Amino acid sequence: MSVKAIGSYDFPSRSRQELYGDDQLVHVWWRNNPFMSAAGTFRAPKAMPWSDFRAALLDPWAGTDPDFDPAAPGSWTLDGQPITPTDDQTLEQLGVGHKSLISFAA
Amino acid sequence: MSNARKLSMKNRYSALTRDLDWTPTYVDPKAVFPFTSFEGIKIHDWSKWEDPFRLTVDSYYKYQAEKDKRLYAVLDGFAQSQGHLSLTDARYLNAMKLFIQGVTPLEYAAHRHFAFLSRYYDGPGPRFAAQCQSVDELRHTQTEVHTLSNYNKYYGGMHNWPEQFDRVWYLSVPKSYFEDAMSAGPFEFLIAISFSFEYLLTNLLFVPFMSGASFNGDLPTMTFGFSAQSDESRHMTLGLEAIKFLLEQDEANVPIVQAWIDKWFWRGYRLVALIAQMLDYMLPRKVMSWKESFELYFEEQMLGGLFPDLEFYGITKPRHVEQAIGEKDLLSHQVYWALYQFSFAAGFTTTVPEDDHLDWLSANYPDTFDKYFRPLWDKAKKVQDEGGRVFFRGLPQLCQVCQIPMLFTEPGDPMRLAQRQVVHNGERYDFCSDGCQWIFEREPEKYVQAWLPVHQIYQGNCGGPSVPEVLAWYGLQDGDAGEYAGSVDQQNWERWHDHAGKADVEAPVEAEVRA
Amino acid sequence: MSTPTTPAKVRMVGLDLQENDDSRAIVEAIEEDNEGVAVSRMPGLVRVQCPQRLVINQASVERHLGRPWETQEFQLSIVSYFGHINDWDDDQVVVAWDH
Repeated sequence: MSVKAIGSYDFPSRSRQELYGDDQLVHVWWRNNPFMSAAGTFRAPKAMPWSDFRAALLDPWAGTDPDFDPAAPGSWTLDGQPITPTDDQTLEQLGVGHKSLISFAA
Repeated sequence: MSNARKLSMKNRYSALTRDLDWTPTYVDPKAVFPFTSFEGIKIHDWSKWEDPFRLTVDSYYKYQAEKDKRLYAVLDGFAQSQGHLSLTDARYLNAMKLFIQGVTPLEYAAHRHFAFLSRYYDGPGPRFAAQCQSVDELRHTQTEVHTLSNYNKYYGGMHNWPEQFDRVWYLSVPKSYFEDAMSAGPFEFLIAISFSFEYLLTNLLFVPFMSGASFNGDLPTMTFGFSAQSDESRHMTLGLEAIKFLLEQDEANVPIVQAWIDKWFWRGYRLVALIAQMLDYMLPRKVMSWKESFELYFEEQMLGGLFPDLEFYGITKPRHVEQAIGEKDLLSHQVYWALYQFSFAAGFTTTVPEDDHLDWLSANYPDTFDKYFRPLWDKAKKVQDEGGRVFFRGLPQLCQVCQIPMLFTEPGDPMRLAQRQVVHNGERYDFCSDGCQWIFEREPEKYVQAWLPVHQIYQGNCGGPSVPEVLAWYGLQDGDAGEYAGSVDQQNWERWHDHAGKADVEAPVEAEVRA
Repeated sequence: MSTPTTPAKVRMVGLDLQENDDSRAIVEAIEEDNEGVAVSRMPGLVRVQCPQRLVINQASVERHLGRPWETQEFQLSIVSYFGHINDWDDDQVVVAWDH
């Protein structure tokens, strides 16, 4: 189905990747921890190494929960598929795309 | 009445409303009414439109004037008697802050769009009904502003709502909802707003809410609420007449209307999630729980009363309604928990519910509250007792359709957030639920344009990259946002009530409050 | 909803009215002219409901009010309703389900 309209109806996405330059949006989700009221979104460079992503963005975010232990996260997934990220891999190398969802359990 | 010289209601309506219509002869009617065919709806006889209120211009204004007179008498008395000091508690006003920020602008948007419709429907019946509703909605906007301006003199959060409606993250939820309807065709708008919102869901919003105002010492809100609601019963009627009219005009309209009901039930239901938390968390003195309200006004009256009536036309219950029913023990808790964590960026404050409030929640939600939610509050309270405050350290992932943070859970699994993703033209889009995903997939071209506040912040369109810059762009002032305990409102409230019964009671002064 | 096994459940229609002087007379008139009327209250509100069809007769309301009352004045009392406004004329207002 598509929109019924009085004229042609074709508009670009208001959040397409090109609007973020060399960066992209990345969603983060701490599975099975209802203390985190929602999943989060960050803007991160595609070339950001995993260790930086953890230290600068994901870990401080997970610290919303006072019991968060940075050594605890595991069972990582990317868009539903299991991954085992290493510190020096960039987000791009990990296969993280614009609006990808990274999740973990802890 | 037999020898009365005045016309009967029926005849007056016929003469003064329906009879003022004419058929254009030297202009093609399609050029006069260009918007009533592209949606695929077939209308064969506009005169079959019924208006049970049989309104005429003179009687409309006569009764509206009377409603306003009654309201403004109350407002004057309230202002003159320092009525704001009679509220149950200053925290009650968080509900009213959300109301003026999120609901009043919808009234104004409705005023605008019904004015448009009152020009563009082919038939005089719906045109006049739309015209009355347009004037009603402007009246609601004005009376809400006048009512709440009495609080704006003394309390935070109400001073910049028109701009905030266009900018603040949680207000994009009502804004995008209504703009979705306004940018649809004139018949879809009727099913969206007049039927799905006004008839199906509005009782959930206004009736317990205004009763809550009454119960919490908020005389003027109760009065404007009931005053507006008396118009609302006419708007509900418009919604019900609209759906019956469309269904009776042509069988081909039935599947179109059904799809609109399916879409707009879920859109409206997600919108009233903001109301759910108001009932359970923002009213210091409770009238009824969200669950009770949902069961009474939606399950019993709508699913049990209305939908059997619509079955006659081949209309079935809205798609995804079972998921809404499945959420009734969870919805308010999940939403307020998120607002608690995000109120650092809101035009209202939140706090950990007090013990008796938690007990009330346990009693009203015996299957879920102690199991899933009370432990969260215990932990948040512990942090607060130690001098901290739990705030979300980052920005939320948003649903592309309802624009609410991704906080809802999988049907049947309250421990697991629901995550839905669709790739459209090579780009990923996120959804909070099957309902929102389904709505996107019907019309992806529409929702790819969504102005998602979080994404806009990251694109640099909201005042700057840091949280303080964004809050400044929202026009938030000191005391508007964050934690209620220790807030400007709370401190003033304590000061104004501390000395009750003593001679040196401090009189509230407008200027000192928001210097 | 919780009792889907009950066959042919009677559907209620009803009104939510502002709790005020005029509404008191309207509720009395409704109680007098309808079968199976149930009245309940919430802060500021009075709810009156009955099975399938509810009628408000102008003559009954006038008798309880002790003054002339036009059915259109009912707009000043009504807050909400459930059912379908089936008829609204000089002498009566009827709320009923159609089908």
